[in-house]
Amino acid sequence: MTDAPMHLRCVCGWEATGTEEEVVAAATEHGALVHNMKPTRDEVMAMVVAEPAAAADQETPP
Amino acid sequence: MAGLRAGEILDVEGPVRAEIFMIWLKVDHLELTGPDGPVPWIVQIEDVEHPVEVVERIVTGLVGAPLLVHSTSWRRDAAAVILSFLVVIGPDQVGGMASQPIVRAELARSEATRAPARIGQEQVLEHAIRHLAWLAQDDEVVAARLTDGWRAELAGYVPEPFRSLA
Repeated sequence: MTDAPMHLRCVCGWEATGTEEEVVAAATEHGALVHNMKPTRDEVMAMVVAEPAAAADQETPP
Repeated sequence: MAGLRAGEILDVEGPVRAEIFMIWLKVDHLELTGPDGPVPWIVQIEDVEHPVEVVERIVTGLVGAPLLVHSTSWRRDAAAVILSFLVVIGPDQVGGMASQPIVRAELARSEATRAPARIGQEQVLEHAIRHLAWLAQDDEVVAARLTDGWRAELAGYVPEPFRSLA
């Protein structure tokens, strides 16, 4: 598990940004409440990407 | 990996899905709203679940018990069958959800033996409200749930029964 900012976007437009724990919790709740889905932690993590701002911060200048 | 599309976004899958249009009467006109704004949203239906029960449960969990839940059309979308649902809620249930006036649209008409080439969401909604207009005249239970304001708004829609859009 990591505290690095992560990002997840749902097909409906809903998005979540936060730590791994926060994104997994938000996506699990959103899936159940809005889409009648029960994604596992692994399934959510498979869709997560690095938060764009955090990824940009880690880029090294040319 | 049921319910998820490999790649980048959380997706809704399954052979049967519900597409929910949540509408309400804002004083003198109809508006579309939803948990992600004025757009329909897709709900996954598991094998053992009844679509109407799932929609009623999901909506109730979000905004409280709806006034009406009714399936108004169906269509095929790739590997899935999409059941369109019209959900009527009261003004006090909209809360902070973004909402937008509903704009009239031309229906997506089938050919004699073929489905329409394209079916837009606005066309599905147009047909759904026409279906509600039909129910308001034909179904006592539905009629009893609608106010005079609703009946006045629905009078502008041509009544249509349930039908396949694809």
